[in-house]
This record gives sequence, C-alpha cells and structure tokens, in this order.
Amino acid sequence: MSEEMPDFSNVESGSSSTAAVIYEVKPGDSLSKIAKAHYGNANDWNRIFEANKDILKDPDKIYPGQKLKIPPK
Amino acid sequence: MAKLRVVLVLAALVLGLAGCKKESPTQPPAAVPPPGSQAQTPAEGVVSVVNISLGKALGPDKKVAAATDTFAKGDTIYAVVETTGSGKAPLKAKWTYHRGDKTAPVSEDSKTISASGPTATEFHVSKPDGWPLGDYQVEILLNDKSVGTKKFVVK
Repeated sequence: MSEEMPDFSNVESGSSSTAAVIYEVKPGDSLSKIAKAHYGNANDWNRIFEANKDILKDPDKIYPGQKLKIPPK
Repeated sequence: MAKLRVVLVLAALVLGLAGCKKESPTQPPAAVPPPGSQAQTPAEGVVSVVNISLGKALGPDKKVAAATDTFAKGDTIYAVVETTGSGKAPLKAKWTYHRGDKTAPVSEDSKTISASGPTATEFHVSKPDGWPLGDYQVEILLNDKSVGTKKFVVK
C-alpha cells in the first residue's frame, strides 16, 4: 500500500516586489479594491490612478483586461 | 513699361518667398518618428534573475534576513528573486513537496514586474496547520522558463 501524499489545499501564498507590478483588471475590480489587495488600504487607490494616468482618464472607469502598473508599497 | 517690370519683379520675389516657406514644414515630421519607436525597444525581455534565496523573514529591502534551507512546521517560507535589467518580466514560483519519486503541488504564484533596475521580488507560503515534515522545492520561472530551483526541508 502506498502512503497518501499530504493535503496542501489550505496553503496560503502571496508575493510582493520592490518593482512596480503589472496587474490585469478582472471583472468586478475597482481601483479601491485593487489598492486594498496590494496595499492593504482601499484609500490608496489614488497611487494607482496617478501611476496609470497615461491610460486612465477617469478613476471610476477601468475595464477587464486592462494592465495597470501598481507602484511598490 | 518700367512699372510693369517693377510689378513683375515684385511678383517674382513674392512667389519665391512663398516657395521657400512651403518647404520648411515638411522637415520636422521626418524627425518625429525615431524617438517614439526607440521608447518601445527596451520594454520587453531584458530582465534576468541573478539570485534566488530562501528564508524565514524579510528585511525592509525585501531580501531574506538570514538565508536558510531548513524550516520548522510553523514557519512562513520566503523565496526572494533578485533581478537586474529593465522591462516587464513575468515571474512565477512553483512550490512542490517530494517523497521518493512522488511529487505533490503545494502552491503556485505569479507576478509580472515592471523593472527599472535591480529588484527583489518575494514569494511566500504558509500553512495554518503546519507543514508536513519532508523535502520541498521551489522552482522560479521567468517568462515561463525555469531559471532556478531551491530545495529545502521541513523538520
């Protein structure tokens, strides 16, 4: 009888970088939601907006598939 | 007759000046394209991985505080990937568990960075109920190509 391999389904993972990170917008995303996920604070949405002013004209209008530059923390 | 000559000479001068003016606007557009096309060139594919290290904690520079390949059951395990160069670079960390010739996937995480010089990117994993004892490894991929593997043990 072969021994079963351990269960790793509850492993938690994450990542961060000293470089800006490229994030692809998913359905239902907002700048606040992305800021909360990357910085831990939804109020930091303006940092993402400022870094992407070349492609974003309105912070309330982001679209799935858009690639946003997320400045490091 | 003299008046007609004066008028003709003046007309020739005016036409000549007008001819000179028309030529100047055609020059600047020819000079515009090169800067634009150059800006695109260094954007992709010039990032390379220079070091991969493992540790239990990170310093403020996102590098491991003390490199190790031995961990305890309750540790958070950090893999730090240092790169040089600039441009967009998709990095991936594949964590696996090994027992004999068997392998079990532990976790996989990816991050696309936009580098403009040396960077440190960390990937970390933890397990709330503790890591099973044994042998593990993390493989780092850049542009979906393996650039290094680090083995470690939990005991």
